[in-house]
Amino acid sequence: MRKYDLITPEGTRDLLFDESVARRTAEEKLRRLFENYGYSEVITPGVEFYDVFMLKSRYFAQETMYKLSDGKGRLMVIRPDSTMPIARLAATRLKDEIHPLKLFYSQNIFRINPKDSGRDDEITQSGIEIIGGNVKKADMEILNLAAEAIKTFETNDFRFEIGDGAFFKILISKLTDDEDETERLREYVENKNMPELKTALEKYGHSNQADILYELPKLFGCSEVFEKAEQIFKDEKLVSVLEDIKEAYAYLCALGLKDKVTMDFSLVNKANYYTGLLFRGYIMGYGMPVLSGGRYDALTGDFGSPCPATGFAVNINAVAKALLKGNRTELTTPSDILVYAENDAMQKGFLHCRALADNGIRAENSLNETLEEAKEFAQKKGIKLIDRVDKNGNVTKIQV
Amino acid sequence: MNDVIRIALTKGRLEKDTVNLFESMGFDVSAVRDKGRKLILPINGCGIEVVLAKAADVITYVEHGVCDLGVVGKDTIMEHGGKYFELVDLGFGRCRFALAGKKGSDFYKGYGVKTVASKYANVARAFFESKGMDVDIVKIEGSVELAPLLGLADGIVDIVETGATLNENGLEVYEDVAPVSARLIVNTVSMKLKKERIDQLVEIIEKELRDK
Repeated sequence: MRKYDLITPEGTRDLLFDESVARRTAEEKLRRLFENYGYSEVITPGVEFYDVFMLKSRYFAQETMYKLSDGKGRLMVIRPDSTMPIARLAATRLKDEIHPLKLFYSQNIFRINPKDSGRDDEITQSGIEIIGGNVKKADMEILNLAAEAIKTFETNDFRFEIGDGAFFKILISKLTDDEDETERLREYVENKNMPELKTALEKYGHSNQADILYELPKLFGCSEVFEKAEQIFKDEKLVSVLEDIKEAYAYLCALGLKDKVTMDFSLVNKANYYTGLLFRGYIMGYGMPVLSGGRYDALTGDFGSPCPATGFAVNINAVAKALLKGNRTELTTPSDILVYAENDAMQKGFLHCRALADNGIRAENSLNETLEEAKEFAQKKGIKLIDRVDKNGNVTKIQV
Repeated sequence: MNDVIRIALTKGRLEKDTVNLFESMGFDVSAVRDKGRKLILPINGCGIEVVLAKAADVITYVEHGVCDLGVVGKDTIMEHGGKYFELVDLGFGRCRFALAGKKGSDFYKGYGVKTVASKYANVARAFFESKGMDVDIVKIEGSVELAPLLGLADGIVDIVETGATLNENGLEVYEDVAPVSARLIVNTVSMKLKKERIDQLVEIIEKELRDK
């Protein structure tokens, strides 16, 4: 039998130095942002019962979840998403808390990607959720914070995209109530698969709804999509959703993001719990969204305590990768000083280290046998200075 | 990089058909025709770069966003799946997936579990799943026709163009599985961030296809 003791499982890896710093920095910046806006952190368990993710409406395909069983033989999953556990939490322990709840989290999620796809199975997500509150005000706050979140990464090369899951839901409700058919059409719309969508819609003839649904994937871009949409949306409900998006767009423009925002009316997220305003954030040069979120009013209801809710998550892995790609300077720097204590002065050496560290100097205690070895070590690590400490506590400075 | 649009073409016939399409659209394809052993080639004067790759790799490059667009057969798309926009049916490279087997025998007869050989294991599996039928699927890398002849399988799921190969080997089509043609696929982020350039290109392509 082959032993897999020297490699990490597919989709996971060890993060070294710069990669770790890039991730932690991104997490820290978001944590500060969320805290400054009055959000409170929650941490949910790494393993949950399978049932949490298998509600009436199935939001995750079971083959994408890592599963195991507990001591009683019950099926568990390793957390594939943070929003659903938080909805569970909001509908149970936080049910009687004063609303709106403003929560944030920063934790890892696990999803099984297709074999050899080169994608991460383990992803660090930092995000916020607003449970309750005035729907419109909450939507604007969430957009505002999503924009702030992207801005913390100090890149000007980002785009923001807004849409609304309701367009698809309104149109499809008039064509079919068959679940499989709905899912098939949803996939075609999401993937802008125009040839297949055309074929699939043929059986509905040239009904008004079918024609609009066919146009939906083409309704994306800058503010000109509003005009295009106005020409084809006659239905009252569609028009009202359109007005909501216009309002959100105007709001983002007022935040100075006019040239960063685009619309896509066919945004229908795979995790299909989104019911209203949806959005994604992109960083130039990274092939997938780094931020995504939206309104999910039905989800807490699935856990027995209905309440409007909205939120977003930042894919920290993606942000770190995108930022490392653009940034060529090293994030991790060598220690300022290597403190080498004579073999009979170890305690004195450590005291000297502490004195330096207390003054904000990064002092590394040398564990080398001889001064010669310490010099070689410092040279290889790029440490410029050695402080040699003798048993009387005298310090000699040696340039490397 | 922001200015260049990179399009991955499936080497071979789809590549030739696409290059012909580009030529009829008035693009200068001389560098692509005259490629030698080069794998990345410019289309002069319009900021498009052509990348030549194997079918499944076209999908991989587009999915990861290192190529903005790709031309790939629906057969590969059905087998490999993935996340990208499937924007245009280019109309060429037309053929179909079919279930075939020895002439004169009835594939569906009897209660025994059938064995099906295919290069396209996922397509075959999805087809029989949609029928609610349990079959054993054996993956074969080439000349799938051999499998029923040698007695390994009761039938095959494979691409059929004219049916000549089947015929010559004493096989026949039992049933069509799905039509196949070349598709233009687009990376989901490129579609948004390079919308104008891509829209423009797609518009010319669709016009050319209509006028043909």
